[in-house]
Amino acid sequence: MISMSASVPAQTKGPAKAASKNVPRASDGKPDLTGVWQGGSTRRGTWEEANTGLGVGGTGTDPTAPAAPSSNDRPAGREGAPYQPWAAQKVLESYNKRAIDDPTSRCLPSGIPRIVILGLFPQQIIQTPKQIVMLYEYMNVFRVIPLNAKHPDDLIPAYMGNSVGRWEGDTLVVDVTGFNDKTWLSGTGTFHSEELHITERFTRVDKDQINYDVTMEDPKVLTKPWTLHSTLMLREGTRLQEYVCAENNLDPGNFEQLLKDGAKISRQ
Amino acid sequence: MAIRIALLLSFLATALLAHHSFGAEYDATKPVTITGVITKIDWTNPHSYFFLDVKDDKGKVANWKLEGYPPSVLSRTGWKKDVTMKVGDTVTVFGWHARDGSNWAHSREVTFANGKKLFFGPPAGTGDGGAQPAVEVSK
Repeated sequence: MISMSASVPAQTKGPAKAASKNVPRASDGKPDLTGVWQGGSTRRGTWEEANTGLGVGGTGTDPTAPAAPSSNDRPAGREGAPYQPWAAQKVLESYNKRAIDDPTSRCLPSGIPRIVILGLFPQQIIQTPKQIVMLYEYMNVFRVIPLNAKHPDDLIPAYMGNSVGRWEGDTLVVDVTGFNDKTWLSGTGTFHSEELHITERFTRVDKDQINYDVTMEDPKVLTKPWTLHSTLMLREGTRLQEYVCAENNLDPGNFEQLLKDGAKISRQ
Repeated sequence: MAIRIALLLSFLATALLAHHSFGAEYDATKPVTITGVITKIDWTNPHSYFFLDVKDDKGKVANWKLEGYPPSVLSRTGWKKDVTMKVGDTVTVFGWHARDGSNWAHSREVTFANGKKLFFGPPAGTGDGGAQPAVEVSK
């Protein structure tokens, strides 16, 4: 059982539960997921309202409030990820190195589900009857998700994989495959192989909230499917902005220098 | 095959490089509070920087580098480029010292001359893996 936390909230409603009547609907009668959303939060309201006080990534206005965990953290109370023993050791190595091997450190895309759960940057969903587009401010990456389509048979391993979607009642189910092995799933060091297969369920339960349930399968590194429950909260009035990570990425050089100079970074 | 080799090489090249781990670059046990005059501000991705001339007790001036959020996050946190903070302004910065001990720090909170405070970067330890690894550790 996954427990509650500020960053990756457990949900009390089952993933297949139908959306309530006050959910906005598209012209085809499906729940309309269109909007700008914030991951890793359960707070309602505008970006400013929802991030006052605690804040996400420490952006709140109350300096004494603890920050919500970043996408590198394992939220308090969440059970350990089901890695095979050799793979768990590798995850632990990244943790002990304080995530200096984080692929996003070189401005590489965050991958899935990390980018969906991320709270510091907004994401946008644009829904049409035949395809759904998901845009992410962080790293300026996107997903074009055709509905009722098959994955192409000529996939090249990709950071964001290849997504196809379908509606199961009021839940959008997205099947993602075709990943490379260069992203983290959720938390420091949570690597995977090219055999990663992800199933995401997006259920808009009311005007403000989408329940996000994601299951990761990777027989090469995991012992069993790994499921996380999180939420996306509507942020009316927020717009996605540019994020050109390669612009001034000084930190890789800083790290190299710190290590060369013998600075103690490791936890051990 | 060629693709697999390319992936492997690029993964190896990644191994020691990172920027998102503030907790690795900065020492959470070494908080610093410094006051000085802004000499330069870079609103850049993935992180923004500003530079501060800080005078010590003997009047000697040193230029400090402070690191924080990218522009989009700063704008959502209440900052306006070229308005909120300008070259020549005197500010007080609270943050944490870089692990090499040079004139370089992570900037958490900036206090302006009028007393107003804004966050320029995340809390100590952000991005370094948190209090607990993602997997259970067997003893």
